[in-house]
Amino acid sequence: MNNPLLLMIIFLPLLGAAISLLPAVRKAPIRAILSVGTTFLHFILCISLFTKGSVFFFAPWISQDIAFSFSSSPLSSFILVTASFFLFLTALYAVRNMDFHPAIDHFLSLLLFTASLASGAFLANNFVLFLFFWEALLITLYAMIAIGGPHAWRTGLKGFVLAGTADFALILGIALLWKLTGTLSMSAPGLAIASKSAAAAFILMALGAMGKAGAMPFHTWIPDAAIDAPLPVMALLPGALEKLLGIYLFTRIVLDFFVLIPGGGLSITMMTIGSLTILFAVAMALIQKDFKRLLSYHAVSQVGYMILGIGTCLPIGIIGGLFHMLNNALYKSGLFFCAGSVERATGTTDMELLGGLGKRMPLTAITYFILAAAISGIWPLNGFVSKEMVIEGAFKEGWIFFASAAWIGAIFTFVSFLKAGHAIFLGKTQETTSSANENEWNIWAPPAILALLSILFGIGFRIPLERFFYPALGPRLSLYHAAEISSHGLSLFTPVALISICCLVIAFLIHLYGWKKSGKVAHMSSDVIHRLPVIHTIYNLAENRIFDIYEQGVRFITWLSNILHQNLDRPVDAFYEKTIPSTGKRIVQTLRTFHNGFYANYLAWCVGGLIIIIFTLITRVK
Amino acid sequence: MLLFVAFPMILAGLMPLIGKFSKRSLPDILSAITLFILMVLSGLLAAIMNKGVTIHQPMVMGQKLSISLAFDGLTLLLLFIIYLIGFLVSIFSINYMEEYGSKGNYYGLFLLMIASMSGLILATDLFTLYLFLEAAAIASYGLVGFGLGREELEASFKYLMLSAFASASILLGIIIAFAFTGSIDFLGVGSGFLMLGQPKIALICAALFLAGFGMKAALIPFHGWVPDAYTPSPAVLPALSSGLLIKTAGIYAICRIFFNIFGLFGELPSLLIWIGTISIIGGALLAMGQKETRRMFAYSSISQAGYIVLGIGLGTPLGIIGGLFHLFNHSIFKTLLFLNAGSLERATGTRTFSNLGGLGTKMPITSATSLAGCLSLAGVPPFNGFWSKLLIVLALVEVQRYGLAIIAILVSVLTLWYCLIFQRGAFFGKFNTNWSHVKESPFWMRASMVSLALICLLSGLIFPVIIRGWIEPAARIVSSGVRYLLYCAGY
Repeated sequence: MNNPLLLMIIFLPLLGAAISLLPAVRKAPIRAILSVGTTFLHFILCISLFTKGSVFFFAPWISQDIAFSFSSSPLSSFILVTASFFLFLTALYAVRNMDFHPAIDHFLSLLLFTASLASGAFLANNFVLFLFFWEALLITLYAMIAIGGPHAWRTGLKGFVLAGTADFALILGIALLWKLTGTLSMSAPGLAIASKSAAAAFILMALGAMGKAGAMPFHTWIPDAAIDAPLPVMALLPGALEKLLGIYLFTRIVLDFFVLIPGGGLSITMMTIGSLTILFAVAMALIQKDFKRLLSYHAVSQVGYMILGIGTCLPIGIIGGLFHMLNNALYKSGLFFCAGSVERATGTTDMELLGGLGKRMPLTAITYFILAAAISGIWPLNGFVSKEMVIEGAFKEGWIFFASAAWIGAIFTFVSFLKAGHAIFLGKTQETTSSANENEWNIWAPPAILALLSILFGIGFRIPLERFFYPALGPRLSLYHAAEISSHGLSLFTPVALISICCLVIAFLIHLYGWKKSGKVAHMSSDVIHRLPVIHTIYNLAENRIFDIYEQGVRFITWLSNILHQNLDRPVDAFYEKTIPSTGKRIVQTLRTFHNGFYANYLAWCVGGLIIIIFTLITRVK
Repeated sequence: MLLFVAFPMILAGLMPLIGKFSKRSLPDILSAITLFILMVLSGLLAAIMNKGVTIHQPMVMGQKLSISLAFDGLTLLLLFIIYLIGFLVSIFSINYMEEYGSKGNYYGLFLLMIASMSGLILATDLFTLYLFLEAAAIASYGLVGFGLGREELEASFKYLMLSAFASASILLGIIIAFAFTGSIDFLGVGSGFLMLGQPKIALICAALFLAGFGMKAALIPFHGWVPDAYTPSPAVLPALSSGLLIKTAGIYAICRIFFNIFGLFGELPSLLIWIGTISIIGGALLAMGQKETRRMFAYSSISQAGYIVLGIGLGTPLGIIGGLFHLFNHSIFKTLLFLNAGSLERATGTRTFSNLGGLGTKMPITSATSLAGCLSLAGVPPFNGFWSKLLIVLALVEVQRYGLAIIAILVSVLTLWYCLIFQRGAFFGKFNTNWSHVKESPFWMRASMVSLALICLLSGLIFPVIIRGWIEPAARIVSSGVRYLLYCAGY
């Protein structure tokens, strides 16, 4: 039975987006009702889809292979519910936060388009259909960044090129997979990685998924976008939706499209990418002096945990990675919302200019500290549970390196959030913060809801695990594993948990030491690490974008195009400009002299033509 | 079935009389309504009876006439094109022909031409075909010289003299066919030649037909009449001639005779391909060097007719579909472009476009529609010309004639080139203050041009519907070859 609910979920926001393009609805209350209402309805529809379990919609389309086919599984419908929840919250937040932004109408239309396209990407059951939605999201990504300001399109372009490169890898991977399995359906049984081309297909597709999620080295647009793009865009895209999409695809690749062996070479490759992402991104986050940039580097670093967890190919790691995806979306969006709140109240997110906001904006401050504690993995919040599960998975693989990377990541995460919290909400009131006040309810409520959910998912971690994640893994998850994962949860007395707690203590000490050393100026507290001999040089290089593949790529292409322009293009152009027109002119002139208007001439050609025709026909006959 | 020939023919006879009573509106209305009704009718017929062949034998006083008419896919395609273009040109002439006066006479010739062309494609024997061909040609001589100026009459005379060659060689072909097979209807001639077993005689006959109909189809080297006849006449003549006469008297006849009667044998297919290719290249190169709008499009017609013959000459199903679809498209966009040229000349009073400039702002409709026509002509997606050229190129690749495919693509670049030369000369570029008095054309001319431009765009967007509805049945008839004769015989 075809279920029209699937199509409704995709077309409802599309309809909303179409209506929002009308000039008549571009007034404050109407656009607010339209966007918030549409996303809320969408959320309700997604929940009802989730309660229905597995449903599908199938109609023949371009060919036998390329069908108009949608389906929902527990995994996809759960992630869809999450995504639509964030779309709703962002709409709620943006109608207030962006009320004086010149591009708010564009943003809300794009938000609804994004809702439609993302639903399509989550529900598609055919690779061609899937790619259609996936690539169309690239356009809304570009547009959403580009509406940020007169120069934001450069960052938009950067995001477009980097994500586009990852998508290109994905397309290549899908093409290779198609060649190997002979089907474009996304519900075909997984392919065992037995040959080099299967491994190549896996790596290409995984690169595409990780690129979408913002893992290294496809991450460099995110910190730039943090400055240029409107804040709700950051909360929505790098904060939540891009992660959900990327990790959803990554999970499907690891679980459904391929059959992976834990401890195999590919598994280790993915874990390495995950660990390196954690380490480098957190190291960059540590030295940021701008709140939004700091958050954006953490948005990259947290992806590393998810990839590390899922890359283990162990049930506990996969569940941990997925749970971390959900948790990260909660607290990272919440933190971005907090940053928007601070920016709205004071006009800046530069930590140097901020301080003592805790008294002026208590709700935002409390929300921030809960969310910061969650991202740092403090017991008993949700970040603790999922991070422990990921580390446990990595630890079980027997590679101490991966687990230690995660632990070091945890230390620096906590250090940087201590620094940020200290510099913004505690300490002395500054000029910019003295007149700040708490914002309207729909500015502080969305992050507060997210903070509440972070607490709930920490204490009551069994609910999301048992309701959402166990069904997603289905029969792959034995009862034994489920019991093991559940018992792990919040327990403090396992070796992994104990080391983690030690890490938090170390982090606290580092911050204290740095703060004292820098003369009790909170935003300078990370300078102790920043100024270490070799590390200082590396940081300088990184800040100068030496490691940014996009900037380096652009530099290389500019160089190459200059060379080609001088040595290849000019000569060819000269050929086209001089030789061809003069030859052509000569031919045309010659032909024209024959057409002198004397009909006797024309008649002669006719007779000549007739004779030639007769001659050719007759002489060639056998 | 007789309606399509008789109705406009009778009206054509009455027109000069009607023109005596009503100088202006009555001929306009009568002609437009007639053509509109017949257009709708032919469209409906195509939807209803696009299967096989329907033979109709007119009865006069209980006696069967020995002339019969036939409907099949190819006929229906061309019938629809004739009445579509006829109707749109007719509403264009409502305003355009004002300055020439004597509308009654004009519509008489116009309808005679339309009626003869429909008779030509409905005919089932060589002599009827020849008869209607001559009737259409006579109407077109009249239209070329319609302005009665020195230049017009000279062009008309030249056209007449060159056509005499075509008539002579076609007639000679018919005589040879009759002498050896004892018959002039398609069935008799086809089966007669098959039984005769003398390929050389059939080939001489074919050569004469190819020369005669090749001249009507404006193929090189029989193309000399085209630019001279198109340039001084009223702009509706090249629109009708390039849009319809070339198609019906030339390409339709070539299809019918070489595919359905003689069957493609010997060197015929490669000869068609060569003539097509030479026309493509020569026409495009000659168009490049022109400064007069209509002369450029006249040479362009030669080039595009070459594309059609090239596609059809391949003989593969894809090639035939591509060729016939290009025939359909070319009728529409070339008619549009000649009407644009007419509108431009009427507004500015000059035939050369190179001394115009920046008229886009003064004549927005003419400018926009001619841009649509040019893009279609040059084969820019999503206009219809793109799809038909693509099909022809694909067909060439399919039979591994890569060289010809490359030529077809390169010439379409040349086409774009001369289109841009025209566009830049006339509509874009710096505004020439000599033309500040220029006004946009009146309503009916605009209506006609806009409809044609919309058809260009629409038939590009929904091209599968057109291919399925009209082109494929027609292509089936063409590619059925001599088996068509069996249908004619009633099997």
